[in-house]
Amino acid sequence: MTRYLSVLSLQMRTSVSQAMAYRANFLIEIVISMAWVGIALLPLLVLYDQRTMVAGWDRPSALVVMAYFMGVKAVLEGVVTPSLVGLVEKIRSGSFDYVLLKPMDAQFMVSAHSFSVEKVFDLLAAIGLAIYAFYERGQAPSAPDIALGIALFAGGVLAMYSLWIVCAAASFWVVRLDNLIYLLGAIFDTARWPIHIFQGVWRFVFTFMIPVAVMTTFPAMALLGRLDPRTAVATLAGSVAMLVISRIVWRSAIRNYTSASS
Amino acid sequence: MRSAFSRTLRAMPTLLRVGVAETVAYRAEFLVWMLTSTMPLIMLALWTSVAAEAPFQDFTSADFVAYYLAVLIVRNLTGNWVAWQIAEEVRMGILSMRLLRPIHPFIAYAVLHISAVPFRSMIALPLCVILLLSSGASALTTEPLQIALLLPSILLAWLITFGIMFALGGTAFWITQNFGIVNFYFGLWSLLSGYLLPLALLPQALRTIAKWLPFHAMLGAPVELMMRHLSSAQVAELIGRQVAWAVASILIGLAVWRAGVRRFEAVGG
Amino acid sequence: MIRAQELTKYFKVHRRQPGFANAMKSLVHRKYDTVKAVDGVSFTIERGERVGFLGPNGAGKTTTLKVLSGLLHPTSGSVEVAGHVPFKREPQLLGKITLVMGQKSQLIWDLPPAETYAMNRAVFDVDQADFDKRLGELTELLELGDLVDKPARQLSLGERMKCELAAALLHGPTTLFLDEPTIGLDVAMQVAIRDFVRSYNQRHEATVLLTSHYMDDVVALCPRIIVIDQGKLIHDGDLRALIKTMDPDKRVSFTLVESISDDELAKLGTLLSKEAQRITLKVADREIGTVVGHLLGTLKAADLAIEDPPLEDVLRQMFGRAKAPPP
Repeated sequence: MTRYLSVLSLQMRTSVSQAMAYRANFLIEIVISMAWVGIALLPLLVLYDQRTMVAGWDRPSALVVMAYFMGVKAVLEGVVTPSLVGLVEKIRSGSFDYVLLKPMDAQFMVSAHSFSVEKVFDLLAAIGLAIYAFYERGQAPSAPDIALGIALFAGGVLAMYSLWIVCAAASFWVVRLDNLIYLLGAIFDTARWPIHIFQGVWRFVFTFMIPVAVMTTFPAMALLGRLDPRTAVATLAGSVAMLVISRIVWRSAIRNYTSASS
Repeated sequence: MRSAFSRTLRAMPTLLRVGVAETVAYRAEFLVWMLTSTMPLIMLALWTSVAAEAPFQDFTSADFVAYYLAVLIVRNLTGNWVAWQIAEEVRMGILSMRLLRPIHPFIAYAVLHISAVPFRSMIALPLCVILLLSSGASALTTEPLQIALLLPSILLAWLITFGIMFALGGTAFWITQNFGIVNFYFGLWSLLSGYLLPLALLPQALRTIAKWLPFHAMLGAPVELMMRHLSSAQVAELIGRQVAWAVASILIGLAVWRAGVRRFEAVGG
Repeated sequence: MIRAQELTKYFKVHRRQPGFANAMKSLVHRKYDTVKAVDGVSFTIERGERVGFLGPNGAGKTTTLKVLSGLLHPTSGSVEVAGHVPFKREPQLLGKITLVMGQKSQLIWDLPPAETYAMNRAVFDVDQADFDKRLGELTELLELGDLVDKPARQLSLGERMKCELAAALLHGPTTLFLDEPTIGLDVAMQVAIRDFVRSYNQRHEATVLLTSHYMDDVVALCPRIIVIDQGKLIHDGDLRALIKTMDPDKRVSFTLVESISDDELAKLGTLLSKEAQRITLKVADREIGTVVGHLLGTLKAADLAIEDPPLEDVLRQMFGRAKAPPP
């Protein structure tokens, strides 16, 4: 266990020193991230310019959902994406074999390989947005709501991570993961909006087939004190289930790889 | 000069064929690429839901459906990934090979991406067109002038998109890790071209910027030709701006490339 | 100790015919062929041996190494390395073995090798003192100098290979699988790496399995050779014995002052080459005495040399027969 922690801390230290070595790049990334925040908010602002309430969600509440979206995205883009992109490269060049020769779990090595440290600012922006939303609302969240909000945030991150791992596992068969990453990112884009805004078949698709509600809408509702306990528990259980399933898929992908590669 | 041109011309069929083969080589990944243009679909889901109770700023649900399907169609026909491709080739150090070939990279990449269009569009495009004609037909224009100019407009949009993407890719000569710039560009493009939101819904200031930059000409223009009733003067202005931007983007692309290659050769591959 | 018993590995490979129509067909229906990469190979290697795997491209050498290092499950047969079953990839075994693939890099591309070394140390949980000692030894033997502090992508092929070897050995493995380690390197670097491998083998009693296209690697380094062709084991033993089995005739080269007719030469042996006055004949072992006597005595040949056939010729002969066309 300690070995895993020491490897993780070593990875983080390496990523930070790399970021500091390319300081200009680091700063540009931050500026670009902030610009993206602005671009992302625009449709929401356009929407609420005309309507005060959409599907039962007012502007501050919708902003909370957006904040959760930004937060989950920040964690994913900071931790998971860089490592998984590295995985694609490794499989393509054949260097992935070296990962299998190390006495550490391959999924861990592949997930925590490198970090994009500048995403910390995105996370801070997300928290800032949430704080602003509650300011606009005029009412702060209660302590239990905050606790539940954080727990479900973690659940949302884990749910998204599980989807990534399933895609990464698919890359063993398909080799070119890049577009799968874009696809997942594109689908995840729906998580910007409260799931209730989508009507009919869309809502069904997004809630059950790609459990987007899990990642942002429900955690936002928890923070806003609008989530009933049963749904909260079910959501957390859902995240755990996704984690377990993704682990099974990953292991079967490795088994297949070690059987088929030449 | 003439021999280079005829050489290029003679190589076309092979380039096209290989481009197709490359695209087809990875079955699943190309399927994914086709599906990747989901942003308009998400926006479509959002706005049709919002407009279901009442039209949003003159856009009914049907209008939104037609709009985003049109966006998808144009995007499908004009989108390309040459910016990422160039950056990748510079990073992997294989761009030098391309520079040694007798065909100018602008053309080589262009051919590759044109040849990918039929495959990318194979399933999605007919589907979108059918959907558009069936459910969104009421929102489509019936002006013969606009319909006649549609194909040229899309071709111009393709050219502009390619030229700008080519220039963007060229930034890799200076900044190898140019994903940030390309992504930022994509963000601007998705907002200002009409990809994310119909330009009519944006504040006036942004609408003006979109028209003065190439963004509107890349996507919004052909979509407007399809959707709205425009006067001949408006049509002329639209096409005129597209032509101007087509020329400009090719020049910009070639200039960036030339400067980039010079730097590349100075610094070493 | 390494033991393989009737080791077999088959692959299913998708074969795509060229042409447009076939490209479209391959979208919906893929045709798979079974490739017998390794077909019933058995051998036993003791601790401390240096063994070379030879064979033409696609013979199954790399696949065998991958099975031995646990990267591939065998289709059938048994494999045992240092008392473990490799494909279980147990941590104790992984700490004892190492695989170096000449064409694939384990160094982190954008970072100096030193960072990869630090990472490997953490991953293999190597004691800091042991690590420092080993790194010192490897730096000296491989003449790494300050290479380890330059980003890997800035190193030349040879420099990178040296750093790769160091990365592979920092956890002190006692079994080395080397797959084409000298590919693409210049002669001086090849020699340096050979010397290094030999000294590592001697210092640490480490078992070395080497595959290489360069005969010199194998000849210089490996007293024992295993020849694999089309997945089957053709020869397992001493290098000289291999040459003797395949081509027992000697090569006799000499220079003649007076010219001699081809018929006369044919009586002595098979003519291999005749350049200016330098002639090379293939002579059966038992006739060497008579032929040499005749050459020196009657023909007054000068600069006489008697040699074993070069390994390349032997192998070309072994693998040179017509192969079945690909299905």
